[in-house]
Amino acid sequence: MSRRKRMMEGLDQDIREHIATETQDNIERGMSPEDSRYAAMRKFGNVTRIKEETREVWTLIWLEQLLQDFRFALRTLRKNPGFALTAVLILALGIAANVIVFGVLQALVLRQLDVPHGDRVMTLQPKDAGPFLSYPEMRDVRDGNTVFSAVAGYEVNGFGLEANGVTRPVWGSEVSGQYFEVVGIKAFLGRLLERSDDDHPGASESAVLSWSAWKSDFAADPNIVGTKVRIDKLPYTIVGVTPEGFYGTEKIGQIDIYVPMANEASLDGLNWLDLRTHANVFSIVLIKEGVTLPQVQAELNAITARIARQYPKDEEGLALKLARPGLVGDFIGGPTRGFLTAVMALAGIVLLAACANLGSLFAARTADRAREIAIRMAVGSSRWRILRQLLVEAVVISIFGGACASVLAWMALTGLANWHPPTRFPLKFLVMPQPSLILIAFLISVLAGVLFGLMPLRQIFKTDPNDAIKNGGIQASAGRRWALRDVLLAAQIALCCVTVTAALVSLRGLGEALTMDLGFNPKNAIRTEFNLSAAAYTSDAAADHFQRQLLERVSQIPGVEAAGYANTTPLDFDVSMADVFSEQTTDFRPSNSAFDTYFYHVSPGYLAAAGTPLLAGRDVSFTDTQKTPAVAIVNQEFARRLFHSQQAVGRYFKNRNGVSIQIVGIMADGKHFTLSEDPKAAVFFPISQKTDTRTALIVRTQRDTADIVASIREVVRDLDVAVPISESGPWSDQLALSIFPSQVATVALGLFGAFGLLLSIAGTFGLASYTVSKRLRELSIRVALGAQAKQILAAALGRMLILLGSGSVVGIVLGVAASRLLSAIVYQASAQDPLVIASVVFTTVLTGSLSIVGPVTRVLHVDPANLLREQ
Amino acid sequence: MSTKEQKQRIELLQGTLDLLILRTLLLGPTHGHAIAKAIEFNSDDVLQVEQGSLYPALHRLIKRGWISAEEGTSENNRRAKFYRLTAKGRRQLAVETSKWDKLAGAIAQILRPAKREGES
Repeated sequence: MSRRKRMMEGLDQDIREHIATETQDNIERGMSPEDSRYAAMRKFGNVTRIKEETREVWTLIWLEQLLQDFRFALRTLRKNPGFALTAVLILALGIAANVIVFGVLQALVLRQLDVPHGDRVMTLQPKDAGPFLSYPEMRDVRDGNTVFSAVAGYEVNGFGLEANGVTRPVWGSEVSGQYFEVVGIKAFLGRLLERSDDDHPGASESAVLSWSAWKSDFAADPNIVGTKVRIDKLPYTIVGVTPEGFYGTEKIGQIDIYVPMANEASLDGLNWLDLRTHANVFSIVLIKEGVTLPQVQAELNAITARIARQYPKDEEGLALKLARPGLVGDFIGGPTRGFLTAVMALAGIVLLAACANLGSLFAARTADRAREIAIRMAVGSSRWRILRQLLVEAVVISIFGGACASVLAWMALTGLANWHPPTRFPLKFLVMPQPSLILIAFLISVLAGVLFGLMPLRQIFKTDPNDAIKNGGIQASAGRRWALRDVLLAAQIALCCVTVTAALVSLRGLGEALTMDLGFNPKNAIRTEFNLSAAAYTSDAAADHFQRQLLERVSQIPGVEAAGYANTTPLDFDVSMADVFSEQTTDFRPSNSAFDTYFYHVSPGYLAAAGTPLLAGRDVSFTDTQKTPAVAIVNQEFARRLFHSQQAVGRYFKNRNGVSIQIVGIMADGKHFTLSEDPKAAVFFPISQKTDTRTALIVRTQRDTADIVASIREVVRDLDVAVPISESGPWSDQLALSIFPSQVATVALGLFGAFGLLLSIAGTFGLASYTVSKRLRELSIRVALGAQAKQILAAALGRMLILLGSGSVVGIVLGVAASRLLSAIVYQASAQDPLVIASVVFTTVLTGSLSIVGPVTRVLHVDPANLLREQ
Repeated sequence: MSTKEQKQRIELLQGTLDLLILRTLLLGPTHGHAIAKAIEFNSDDVLQVEQGSLYPALHRLIKRGWISAEEGTSENNRRAKFYRLTAKGRRQLAVETSKWDKLAGAIAQILRPAKREGES
């Protein structure tokens, strides 16, 4: 640029000298000095233009003009702070919504696990069942394949970790020998678990701490390696600490401690290392470099076929597939991906609506500036230059919006990452915002800016400077034809109606979920959970003795109406399923089963304590023992599916071992795994026929929760001080996780709905005011000629009402159609609900009216004398 | 002054001016006013240069590296910028000249047959 400056300075002098020389020549030819100078200047031409042309030789002219446009845009926006602020705000919200959703999507779905070779780490899961494999299946794949570098299984478990004399419930993972080979991380301290640790039960008593547990529970003790701890009363030695940033292989959880899976029998109280039917292991594999997914799948098919041939009774029909790791395979991953994609689409719609909104505001402003634009064209500005200047203005607005959005999104994601969902599970959303999000925000802003900046394109290109100046900026056709901005407004109202409908549907669904019939009554019930295996109860007799004593003592607490315990309770995500066979079955392969059912082991009194109605027959009893015939209480759905009638008491079914079980009672249907599930079969077996160390004690009382919880804790402590209670409190609180998806959906959709409403108010208000101000003169004349208020309103805003109405109808229809998609996440999400439809219509009408109140009053207070005098 | 007086004079085509400047500078470095005078004089005043338009053209040529500029003193002792043809400019002049010859030849060829028919 300095060269340009030098050249331009030289030019001034050059021109002066040139003209002086020419003048001199003319004088020598005999002209008067004055004439000489004029003649010389005439001959030279327009000095300013020449200079300009010369400067252009040395300039990146477009850059300079762009800078000019930029400065002009800033000036224009400063002069219209209201418009600028509204536009920036709308865009900030719209972009923030997109960036936040994208951030979550990126963290949970798009980003691979944060481990070396993350692109080659996958999980295996059965083709059409839950996420689990049985340990022998995992072992068979590990030992019989040629496509994986490493294959491992892991299980997530609550442990009682005793260190420095204190026992704390922690979340641990039993991992098989190749687990850390799959994830491929290096120990931060000491070493990680190796194949030899997992060679056989008792091979090693090594445990590995997570970085965060080391930091928080062990005060980042640098001499941690070699520390003796007790896990569920069993002695272990800390041999290492994982590196910072490794949270296990699930993106939504955080594991504190890793132990060898070979030791599981001593920790879980059940040896499942050889049980093919006990599917409880997550698997994770590292695919060899250069091996393609189809090759892996082909080999998996061969392996599973071999397993199925070898163990037809247990493994018939076994089929495995690869799934992306991090979200319990496709199990949570599928719905999460679906939901996030849907929300992303919604965010996109909202941003589009925002752009449409700003676009019409912009188009309106451009129309207001028609005269200015016409003058600029008349004096020789190119259309492209004018368009570019408008585009720059739009992009400046949207970049401001994007900057605000980045700040908003950053705060929201950080908040989300630091938030613990209301559950005892080690849930944590690893959604820390990445710097790349700012780039995304920037791209979205520029895109949005260009999108709405281009809206006035047609307007500019059809502007005829002659016409525009003559008509004082009012185009003759304005108000007669349907303009692009009218269509945009209708489209935007429709889009907003979609978001509002979705929000109301999920709100209603959440309301239903909170009051629905669960098949049990969590109100006035206290649930206390612990696992006796954490206190080293290994024999059934000891566990059974403890549990019965506990029940007896707890029942005597004053104010306790009913008490009972079970191995697990519905909606606790710890429920198991089993095949049910009809009485006549003789071949018990899985394909011959009648259906599968959730099953629980419960104590006498559990039904009453849980508030599950017993509809016929009797409760289980402690007199049902391993020596008496097997009995069970089934739910209505079970009876319906097996016998096609409710008359089931006294009849029989068989389990997969061929044991005949007599049905002694019928209970009400309820929810078992998710709130949105269809009625599922369920069966309660007497816990006295099969003891379990897992204990969920339910106590029904009208008394103050805190008192009773204190009393229960005291009783447990009194019976055995080593039993670590993992949670004890109101049952309804503990169900929070079940309602959690609905809550997330409702909050997300509610925000979008509110934002949609805001947009639609802003858009309608903007366009209505614009229409009114454009036609104020015409309306004044009408008033002067004696038109009635009604006629004036119809003339001024009739079209707005048509737009509002048609947009809303289309939006509601679309919203109802789209809400079907919600039913997988939100319980009973149905847009056919008249209450929902009524609320949507009411909301739409209300917002529509709100947004045109201003323009309407303005129309009604038109003072023709004043206005006509002014214009 | 009026158009009638100047009817013998031809406006220059864009780009032609560049060629004329290069050709003029082939005779030696000189200043802007002299270049304009030389073009007018050498074409018997047929080619009328709007003198100012010389300057953007000169700067364009400097930017392309075909000529260079240096301070100097004009014949009547005025300080002025002297423009000099560079080696690159010399080569360019050859190229441009042969291009021009071809163009002129082609146009002449198109125009000449008609003339010949008229003559014979």
